[in-house]
Amino acid sequence: MARIELVNLRKTYGSVLAVRDLNCVIEDGEFVVFVGPSGCGKTTTLRLIAGFEEPDRGEIRIDGRVVNDLEPRDRGLGMVFQSHALFPHKTVAQNIEFGLRMKKVPRDERARRVREVAEMVRLTPLLNKLPGACSGGESQRVALARTLVTNPSTFLLDEPLSSLDAKLRRELRAECDRLHQELKKTFIFVTHDQEEAMTLADRIVVMRDGDIEQVGSPMEIYAEPVSDFVADFFGSPSMNLVSGEIVADNGAPRFRSPHFSLALPPEAVGEAPTGSVTLGIRPEHVRVQREVGAAADLTLPVRLVEPLGKDTLLYFDIGAERPFIAVTEGLALAELDAGERVGLTLTRDRLVLFAADGKRVTRHPVGARQ
Amino acid sequence: MTKTRRRRVAAAGRYAFLTLWAVIVVFPLYWIVSTSFKPSDQWFSWPPVYFPSPPTLDNYRDVWIGATSVAEGGQTALSLQTPFLALRNSLILAFGATALAVLYGSVIAYGVSRYRLLSETRMFQLLMLRMVPPIVIVAPLSLYFSYLGLLDSMFGLGVMYFLTSLPYAVWMTKSFIDEVPREVEQAAEILGASRWRTVFEVVLPLIRSGLVATFMFILILNWSEYLLSLILSKTNIVTLPVELSKFEGSTEGRLFGRQAALSVGITFPLIIIGLFIRKHLARGFSFGMVRR
Repeated sequence: MARIELVNLRKTYGSVLAVRDLNCVIEDGEFVVFVGPSGCGKTTTLRLIAGFEEPDRGEIRIDGRVVNDLEPRDRGLGMVFQSHALFPHKTVAQNIEFGLRMKKVPRDERARRVREVAEMVRLTPLLNKLPGACSGGESQRVALARTLVTNPSTFLLDEPLSSLDAKLRRELRAECDRLHQELKKTFIFVTHDQEEAMTLADRIVVMRDGDIEQVGSPMEIYAEPVSDFVADFFGSPSMNLVSGEIVADNGAPRFRSPHFSLALPPEAVGEAPTGSVTLGIRPEHVRVQREVGAAADLTLPVRLVEPLGKDTLLYFDIGAERPFIAVTEGLALAELDAGERVGLTLTRDRLVLFAADGKRVTRHPVGARQ
Repeated sequence: MTKTRRRRVAAAGRYAFLTLWAVIVVFPLYWIVSTSFKPSDQWFSWPPVYFPSPPTLDNYRDVWIGATSVAEGGQTALSLQTPFLALRNSLILAFGATALAVLYGSVIAYGVSRYRLLSETRMFQLLMLRMVPPIVIVAPLSLYFSYLGLLDSMFGLGVMYFLTSLPYAVWMTKSFIDEVPREVEQAAEILGASRWRTVFEVVLPLIRSGLVATFMFILILNWSEYLLSLILSKTNIVTLPVELSKFEGSTEGRLFGRQAALSVGITFPLIIIGLFIRKHLARGFSFGMVRR
């Protein structure tokens, strides 16, 4: 059982504000992922929960009890570090056993539990090795096992997969997921990788400059980003963002940018002011037609075709800093030549508008379905 | 010349130079060892005798155990304090002060490394203490010591050895402690280890080689320390370097063989210790140079 509450948590390092009056509740058994670019305060938040940093003010409560003054070891938490932080002079078995030894668990009991946990994360053949002889993925599993064996109420994971290659990362991600489902414990996972966040989390906490930008399920975060920051951060390739302004065109709202102009359904604008906005659309919501001249929003020459197998990415130049990207399923358009003109249609009910301050101005993506 | 040939010539040149250098460096040591086994008539002989014939242990016996046959005109040489007493003093002072300095120094270093006990400036000032040439401070120091009644006492000299070693001990051990990732300590902490437990279970084993290297480095300094020992002691506490220096006095004549035998006796303990802990030394002195 562990329900973790962060109340008005603030932490500064000198003049740098690392965490800004943060409020957040993590329910028992939840898998919460803190995500954001480096320096956004996510790791500091985790270290505050662990007790390695002291907040300037605010409270950390575990199951309703304020733990600000408790030592890390008295908080009943387990932590996996980015660097794995194994004890290099102890064997894998001794590493796993360490926490039990500190808790004065009898020797036979220790041996039994080490065996069990080693079995669980498939480390049995490595028990007598030193960490130096383990690969990155193996070290990570040792770090996980070392934490598992102490049976903590909550697992804190600080970018545990960032030092591994892509394939291993996927494997260990699945491992984390499986452990969470088996153990039914609270998991707090910190990462800068949006894909990791999307696949693992029950709930995602997006952080930016020491503050929470948005909290929500992966689908909410993806489909209903509250700001252009969140919209840009999630999804690969990320959302197309085009800056421009809203003007009244015979009473109907119209988006106009140096690059293109687009009539908007009236409900799209909501309470949006006329003026400068950023229009966002995910690449998969851009429809591509080869027949030029059909009723398309814009007609552009393809600059680059990237066949990925399952999908094909098409890059367009609209004069903005970043290319405009469309995703089409399969390889049907893979043999398009660079320079060939195609028609693009932006799915109206997927358009999102962001005001000049980056906040979304439409209540939902236009006409969002419930 | 082909490339291979050129490379070989260069290598030959390099080795020739290094061999010459090695001979220049090692020859005095060889001469000391060889002289220590020479009978007295070969100490000064010309042309020089490179290999003592016949080798004799007389010098060792005379200098360490006591003179039975005194060289011409040199009968006062061995009525001085016996080298065994000096050896005992040196052992106690050097090992005691070094052990204390490394112990206390590493505690300070841990505080500096983990709790910023001393600022960068303070740390530098600490090292600066060692930059003062000892000869500058010995005169006022001997005055202090005489006021305090510490002159010519084991305790007084020991305190000085300890204090002069401490800056090195702090600096060296700090660099080793800095190398231990904080996360490793924090991992131990969150797994339930107390601060002391963490230090003993995690930090100490990881910096063991560094501590040994530090100990050895400071031991060498203290073992061969001469100036403080000469000024701050009179007759009570004589250390080996001071004992050895007595052979430079003119009254004893030139007892080169015994001087050499004493020199060998002073040098060997360090070499033997070095051999025993060479695994640690190599690791300790290269600590932090390679990414683990």
